[in-house]
Amino acid sequence: MKKTGFLHELKKNKALFLMVAPAVLLVFVMSYLPMSGLILAFKDYKFNLGVFGSPWNGLENFRFLFQSGKGWLITRNTIFYNLLNLVTSQFLAVFVAILISEMAGKVYKKVTQSVIFLPYFISWVIVGTFVFNIFNFETGVLNNVVKFFGGEPVNVYSMPGVWPWIICIFNSWKWVGYNSIIYIAAITSIDAECYEAADIDGANVFQKIWYITMPSIKPTIITMLLLQVGRILRGDFEMFYQIVGNNGQLFDRTDVIDTYVFRSLLQNSNFGMTAAASFYQSVLCFVIIIVVNAIVKKVEEDYALF
Amino acid sequence: MKKSFRLVALLMALCMILGVFAACGDKNSSSTASTGSKASTEGSKTDDGSKAETPEAGDLDTSNEVEVVMYVVSDRPAKQDEIDENMNKIFKEKLNTTLKVNWIGWAEYTNKYPLLFSSGEEFDLSYTATWLNFSSLAQRGAFMELDELWPKYAPKNYERQSQAALEQATVNGKLYCIPTLLPTYSSQGPIYRTDILEGTDWDGKMENFDDLEVYCDYVKQAAPEMEPLNVYSSGLGFYAWYLCINSNYKASVGGNGVPCYFDVTEDKPTVKVDYQIDQIRPYLEMTHRWNEKGFWSKSALSDTDSQKVQGGKAACTIHNIDTYEGRAIDYPERNFKYADFRKDVSYLPFTQDALVVSGTAKNPERALALYDLITSDEETYRAFYNGIEGVSYEIIDGQIKNPDPDNYGFSACWAARTPEFNLPSVGSPQVVADLKAEWDNYIKEQDGKGAARFASFVLDTSMMETEYAAIRNVNQEYWLPLELGFVDLESGLADYQAKMEAAGIEKVLAEMQKQLDAFCESHPAK
Repeated sequence: MKKTGFLHELKKNKALFLMVAPAVLLVFVMSYLPMSGLILAFKDYKFNLGVFGSPWNGLENFRFLFQSGKGWLITRNTIFYNLLNLVTSQFLAVFVAILISEMAGKVYKKVTQSVIFLPYFISWVIVGTFVFNIFNFETGVLNNVVKFFGGEPVNVYSMPGVWPWIICIFNSWKWVGYNSIIYIAAITSIDAECYEAADIDGANVFQKIWYITMPSIKPTIITMLLLQVGRILRGDFEMFYQIVGNNGQLFDRTDVIDTYVFRSLLQNSNFGMTAAASFYQSVLCFVIIIVVNAIVKKVEEDYALF
Repeated sequence: MKKSFRLVALLMALCMILGVFAACGDKNSSSTASTGSKASTEGSKTDDGSKAETPEAGDLDTSNEVEVVMYVVSDRPAKQDEIDENMNKIFKEKLNTTLKVNWIGWAEYTNKYPLLFSSGEEFDLSYTATWLNFSSLAQRGAFMELDELWPKYAPKNYERQSQAALEQATVNGKLYCIPTLLPTYSSQGPIYRTDILEGTDWDGKMENFDDLEVYCDYVKQAAPEMEPLNVYSSGLGFYAWYLCINSNYKASVGGNGVPCYFDVTEDKPTVKVDYQIDQIRPYLEMTHRWNEKGFWSKSALSDTDSQKVQGGKAACTIHNIDTYEGRAIDYPERNFKYADFRKDVSYLPFTQDALVVSGTAKNPERALALYDLITSDEETYRAFYNGIEGVSYEIIDGQIKNPDPDNYGFSACWAARTPEFNLPSVGSPQVVADLKAEWDNYIKEQDGKGAARFASFVLDTSMMETEYAAIRNVNQEYWLPLELGFVDLESGLADYQAKMEAAGIEKVLAEMQKQLDAFCESHPAK
């Protein structure tokens, strides 16, 4: 009898296989089975015929993404925003994590951390209201301050160019506390002896951060970046929708795939077109994550995801 | 050896569990929706609509009790259970039927409503409307066709439908919905408060756009903290209204965000997109002037507050007479007035409010019979639509009132209203009833001329969905800021035009023209 092969493996580690079974089952049912629905992207969906019975219609469903040349613009915007947000929010999170872990007073430390964490719990709907009340031309906080100091009021809603930065600031403000938790955990797990040794050698705070903390949390940073890159084609729909809403003046600079699809398809019941948009995003995401992972693997094999 | 068999058995068991999971998807929904209707439908397990032939003409077998399931879109009132219990007593007695009404809340209807039809859930009736994408859903096969069922099981309702209503309910040659019997009017005009201008020398005239501008000027002076016009993120949207008053382009085709119009006085009208019509310049000059005068906020397109008139932050909104009725009842102290600038009023499509039978319906016959009863018998109607007398409604001098709106509400199946059962609300200004009577007369006099001739024209958009999606985007991105005067008139208009062309407006116009020409063939001018 052969002592290798799947059956033998199964027999040898049956307890392990049994333990992993629920997880495999769950992933299969929740993630693999629904994938068959992807064929919807290539179908002319009819309610009475169902997903599998509806007639095929080739690439027709994808056409609306690229009609009038919007497809490229929204893809570019989506990638640009995600890169910007990725870099700024992760950079700020590392910065905040190091600051907090260097703080001395225990109460002060905890209070600061909580205050920074708080925006995470504020929904985008409320943030959208904040934004409108700050930038409103007639009654907004910004223009009231400008007028108080004798300046000319500015109409921020007619300047699409500044919106990437506004969105970036609010995104960082909301996520920095949440993201920093992971880095704080990574910093806490660094061996205290390293710092003691550095103290004895006469290293100052900045040297300790640069030569001990940063190298120690580098794997965490890379993993976090890789995980975020996988979502790069998915705009944070709620954020864009609540901050920019239906203000067409800003679309050139703020429209991402998700908001475009939402607006285009809100008024028809074509599931095929929605599926096509999501298919397009998924395929691009897949390509990007494979490429980025390959690059990481080439540079530093240990840090790659797979 | 024995051990590996056990393992194989285990794996097979796993597969079976998996199979059960996979099958759950369609089983679950059917078992929840059909409780109570099991007994009734022997032998009709297919839902392809072919069961219409099985029962013999006209007589409905009501020997077994049936539960009809209906979906409506609105928030469920707190004490709806009491109303349901009361109406089911009457339904049971008259038709041996009970009705279960499921409510889809305002917060979730955009997602949940189309999913009703794609999930395969079994239910009988649903409210539908033009704004719920009735024709798009019908084209995609979501509803049961009613050509035979409706006249057979809801004959009283069917007989009362107008020719125009029947044509509006027809998609690809088949009837798919039961339109409302209650007409609504194509009126649109300013609903403006007059209390803030008391004590000024404003002459109170409101007959055209110039008067509206004068009114807004006065509001600017008398109540500077208020915005004269209620404009928010959905834009201004006056153009169709402007055309109705200042041109013969009184009929719009295309629906929301696809602004195409044609001249109703012509025998064979040509469909034009908004910028091809001469009125575009005077209109945009007017709105640009209004923007400079500050009739709306420079940030209006990011303002999501649509209730500024109710909240006292705006003085005037442009809407229909039913909205006016509501404002006048809710805020008598603000002395709201309504003016309709246009002379040529017609009925809105009756599919504005309508009822559909789901493609998955188990008891379409009984459901239609029930609906026939509701729309023809006053006791049944009151119990269904208004609830319990003295508790959820009171009738005072032919006007109706809900004494406890926190707990009770009228039905959200607005399609069930009929001209004789639908009563005005208590406190409704006399002018509302007068205007409606005047319009009814006018429409009768017109006798199908002008805009009325095209009332039953329904556009089939199924072959231009891609262009539609692109055009709606252009409309939002380029037209709304242009219309509000936020971008330069000349360059903005040129830009808008170029983007519309890129989005495929030519193809859409050609298709509309084709369908309209075919319509004109079959509906010649009187």
